[in-house]
Amino acid sequence: MSATGLVLWAAAFAAGLALWRRDRAAVAAGGRFALGTLKTVLPIMLLALPMAGFLTVLVPDRFAAILFGAETGLRGHLVATVVGALIPGGPFVSFPIVLALWSSGAGPAQMVTLISAWSVLAVNRVVVWEAPLMGWRFVALRLATGFWLPLASGLAAEALLALLPPGAVGR
Amino acid sequence: MPPSPSPPAPLRQAAQRTSLAVVAALSAASGLACWLLRGSAGLAEAFGIAWSLFLTILPVLGAALLLAGFVQAGIAKETIARWLGAESGLSGLLVATLAGIATPGGPMAAFPLVLALAAGGADRGALIAYITGWSLNGLQRILVWEVPILGPEFAGLRFLASLPLPVLAGLIARRLPRWER
Repeated sequence: MSATGLVLWAAAFAAGLALWRRDRAAVAAGGRFALGTLKTVLPIMLLALPMAGFLTVLVPDRFAAILFGAETGLRGHLVATVVGALIPGGPFVSFPIVLALWSSGAGPAQMVTLISAWSVLAVNRVVVWEAPLMGWRFVALRLATGFWLPLASGLAAEALLALLPPGAVGR
Repeated sequence: MPPSPSPPAPLRQAAQRTSLAVVAALSAASGLACWLLRGSAGLAEAFGIAWSLFLTILPVLGAALLLAGFVQAGIAKETIARWLGAESGLSGLLVATLAGIATPGGPMAAFPLVLALAAGGADRGALIAYITGWSLNGLQRILVWEVPILGPEFAGLRFLASLPLPVLAGLIARRLPRWER
């Protein structure tokens, strides 16, 4: 098993133990929640993984490097903001797309911007969920306070990457 | 009286069906494009990538789901609502950000909670910090999707880079002029 797997299993075990000491019934509730999520996520994942493969094969080599490679600077971050805002659907769509772009040469900081733009700006989610549930007034408040967040997170990622040894985050 | 933000089951099931339909359509369309442009060799390569992703995800997924489940069970929605109502100032924004990170599920889980809190008179800086914390750094999404697919290094980089931003968004929200209704 990978190091990630070991760390996650250790963290899950520790969280379960802490919860068991406090409230034994809550451990069962957490387990049921995990099982319920699995039932929701598994069918979606089994369709999303082939899509990740198709997209990785389809996106031409170096295509993402030209659009938003590590050396494209501010322009790459702005392109990533627009692309991220237009990606529809949940994480089962966006993360496979990011994987395909990354394999085709996108920079890690630019992908941080793209995921933030998809998280905060997501045109599709605003129209389908947020506006009907919350009203356009709330949408306007959230966009007025949040439009700059994708770029800020990408630039913060650039600053963090500058502190790390080269190749610490890469494909 | 604590808000009860859980959406009714039919709404959740409808959302689940929509998600499945979207991902099935996109997967079929990209598979067809792959076959037309790259032939059966392209398809074989794509399924190879999907299989190795599956093998990467499989051992991690159970732990990710359990960890998200235990966090969810340990921090009840009523607790989150109490946190958001109780604190003001900068600490209120920090608490709201953490509450957003701990809230599992998609938009049909997070938005109704915000609606209930807004109706209860919560500070709008805290509401913005909460919804921004959820959308940028929701723990469940990071554990179930981001760490398995993109790797822990990238997920950690993105988490740290985004961590302070919901608080800043909340500060801006408090300073914006109020609309007259």
